[in-house]
Amino acid sequence: MRTRSWVLVGTSIVLGGSLLRAAQPPRSAQEIPVPSPAANNPHLGNRESIRAGMGIYRARCADCHGLDAAGYRGPDLVALIGGGSSDERVFQTIRKGVPGTEMPSTTAPDDELLMIIAYLHSIGTTASGEAVTGNVENGQKVFAAQCASCHRVNGRGGRLGPDLSRIGAARSRSAMIREIRTPGEFIAPIYETVTLVKKDGTRIRGAKKNEDVFSIQIMDTRERIQGYLKSDLQDVVYEKASLMPAFGPERLNQNDLNDLVAYLSTLRKPDVTVRQSSQ
Amino acid sequence: MRAFLLIVLCSATLAAQQAASPTVTPQDLIDGLKDPARWLTYSGDYGGQRHSPLTQITPENVHQLAAQWTFQTNTLGSFQTTPLVIDGVLYVTGYNNNAWAIDARTGRQIWRYRRELPDDLHNCCGPVNRGFGVLGDRLYMTTIDAHLLALDMKTGGVVFDVEMADYKVGYSATVAPLVLKDRVIVGIAGAEYGIRGFIDAYDAQSGKRAWRFYTVAGPDDPVGGSSWPKGDAYMRGGGSIWVTGTYDPQQNLIFFGTGNPGPDYYSTAREGDNLYTASLVAIDATTGQRRWHYQFTPHDVHDWDSTQVPVLGDLTIDGRPRKVVMFANRNGFFYTIDRDTGKVIVAKPFVETTWAKEIGANGRPVLLPGNLPDEEGSKTCPDLGGGTNFMSPSYDPALKLFFVTARETCAVYYAFDQKFKPGEQYEAGGTIRPKDQKNFGALRAIDPTTGRIKWEFRYTSVSSSGVLSTASGVVFAGDGDGNVMAFDSRTGKNLWHYQLGSALRSTAGTTYMLDGRQYLLVPSGSMLTAFALPRTQS
Repeated sequence: MRTRSWVLVGTSIVLGGSLLRAAQPPRSAQEIPVPSPAANNPHLGNRESIRAGMGIYRARCADCHGLDAAGYRGPDLVALIGGGSSDERVFQTIRKGVPGTEMPSTTAPDDELLMIIAYLHSIGTTASGEAVTGNVENGQKVFAAQCASCHRVNGRGGRLGPDLSRIGAARSRSAMIREIRTPGEFIAPIYETVTLVKKDGTRIRGAKKNEDVFSIQIMDTRERIQGYLKSDLQDVVYEKASLMPAFGPERLNQNDLNDLVAYLSTLRKPDVTVRQSSQ
Repeated sequence: MRAFLLIVLCSATLAAQQAASPTVTPQDLIDGLKDPARWLTYSGDYGGQRHSPLTQITPENVHQLAAQWTFQTNTLGSFQTTPLVIDGVLYVTGYNNNAWAIDARTGRQIWRYRRELPDDLHNCCGPVNRGFGVLGDRLYMTTIDAHLLALDMKTGGVVFDVEMADYKVGYSATVAPLVLKDRVIVGIAGAEYGIRGFIDAYDAQSGKRAWRFYTVAGPDDPVGGSSWPKGDAYMRGGGSIWVTGTYDPQQNLIFFGTGNPGPDYYSTAREGDNLYTASLVAIDATTGQRRWHYQFTPHDVHDWDSTQVPVLGDLTIDGRPRKVVMFANRNGFFYTIDRDTGKVIVAKPFVETTWAKEIGANGRPVLLPGNLPDEEGSKTCPDLGGGTNFMSPSYDPALKLFFVTARETCAVYYAFDQKFKPGEQYEAGGTIRPKDQKNFGALRAIDPTTGRIKWEFRYTSVSSSGVLSTASGVVFAGDGDGNVMAFDSRTGKNLWHYQLGSALRSTAGTTYMLDGRQYLLVPSGSMLTAFALPRTQS
């Protein structure tokens, strides 16, 4: 039954327009889309379910969203729930993931997703304290001056660091601040810092893109991507520090940081569409 | 006169066909790798040693190995199979129950079989398959929808199709059948869906079931029944079988490692030892009766299936000749076990293990505190992937060295109560990788008389590659980054590597003689690659 209803929904979207409206038979019970499981979540407020939801959350979500769900690398979920995001939307986001971010899709049973939602409701309903307060326009200028040589937005900027075209959807405000102030705290595997020492002593620093026993592939600080045989190298130095410098208060004052984060928070979807001018 | 000529001609043709028909006898299977042109069972021989007597490729010339041909499946999904080799033809199973017969000289397809699979499959870990079994002119294959098939070796046509269990509630099968005498021995998987595991024997001709051994003891089992809570927990107790066991013809015993209990992580759902999960079971091949068992991980809560290959060998330990089973377990310990009694002779960790101090004199692990998964999470080494896993080890009986792909890993394990619903995943927990945890893999050579590691070669990442060794002193294995490599068996020195573009999983391939040349055949990704020395060398 569920499959059939989804097919009907899909068909409606494809056909669309007046043709569909004209051809539509009287609405029958069979055509009513099956409500999402989140619309009737039996686990809300159930103590046992919430406890199980906590376990599932900690095993599957806490690594990115934080043990307290207040956001780490991923967004603040307490704020998300408190801010009025519908359970249906949360359910579908968990189910389908967020393309272009670290958030994966899942095939876990509906019940597990519903228990996670029940748990998130139980830990707080505080509205987001992360309202954008900075000056977005100034933030964009700060970005151009301080960040764009290494980070790309909508097809423009450097490539040594991650593309930030949708960072506003992927990171909470506090995560962005932490990563700007202390970038070495978490480094994604394809941005780990490495220095290659050639046989003649020449040193090449860059971000490690791949590695096996015999070879290593990097993007160096001049954005050259290149592979090297380890047998041709004197040494491979793995560094804990990020290639990105720490932007402490002496380098980026609180106001500029606030403005920069305000700007980054607006970056929610890459926009690289080419729009043709009318002839 | 004309009729007589026809009869003579027909008889001659029939005789020629019979002479040309490759048929495999029970004795051929016992003989294992004695015929250098054949590789007839999952591990090459009944003992699971995966050690070839071939000597053309040596430590001195292995660096000259070169690719001869490549076969692409043109389907999605990775191989986890061990190809069989029978008189110039390769028989290979792949993802989604595709299968092929391939010309071993050229890599050209001879026939292809593809099973039509239902849409509503439940399987935790991909529709993989680990290979064919063979007897006479039939090939035997399990399917992801929990059937056993017999295929005609010449055409790939289906001879019989037996339902082992109901796929709709989570049963599945990936194991390469173990064929012995007139029986096909297979097992069932699906412990992540709350199934009750078993090992089955089927008549190779008729497909009729001869016996079933449940890897999860029922209440009427005088030995294992009390190791499960009262009620029906045993009915969803897991104990999958997904790696081929071994066979000792002299003892008429088959040996299988069994999977984890279900649900995977939540201890309270199934208090007790949970026999015969996470165990080694020795079963009479004729009757299906258990002769003995040894449980590696009583009441496992870390998803440590003991579905590794039980390797049979003869050792002298403390001056005494012993028939043994050697077993590198997912729980991080290496065991040498007496094959007659099931008693542990040697047990030593071969990777970092934080859950047990040691294996006590009574054979039970001496547990360390703080390793029970709960809602808060507890860190344990190794991770759920284990110290090793489904990838085959190998054993060199001349050097008395056991080669295994080891994983150095840790995880934070969580557990929570989960209500069981047939057909839905039933794990009741999960794991995450601790921050700053740097996992890596290694090929390790273990002395099975002491459990000590003689040498290792470290990889930059974890690997799921099996191992293959040869009498010339070469070990073949792969890292997690797509390299197939050759090592000196005595020292672990790397002698050769070739980047395949996709990592080896489950197997390091097979080796065989054809037209006077020794081939190494390696499945990786959706590709088979055959290597050999230059013609002048071979």
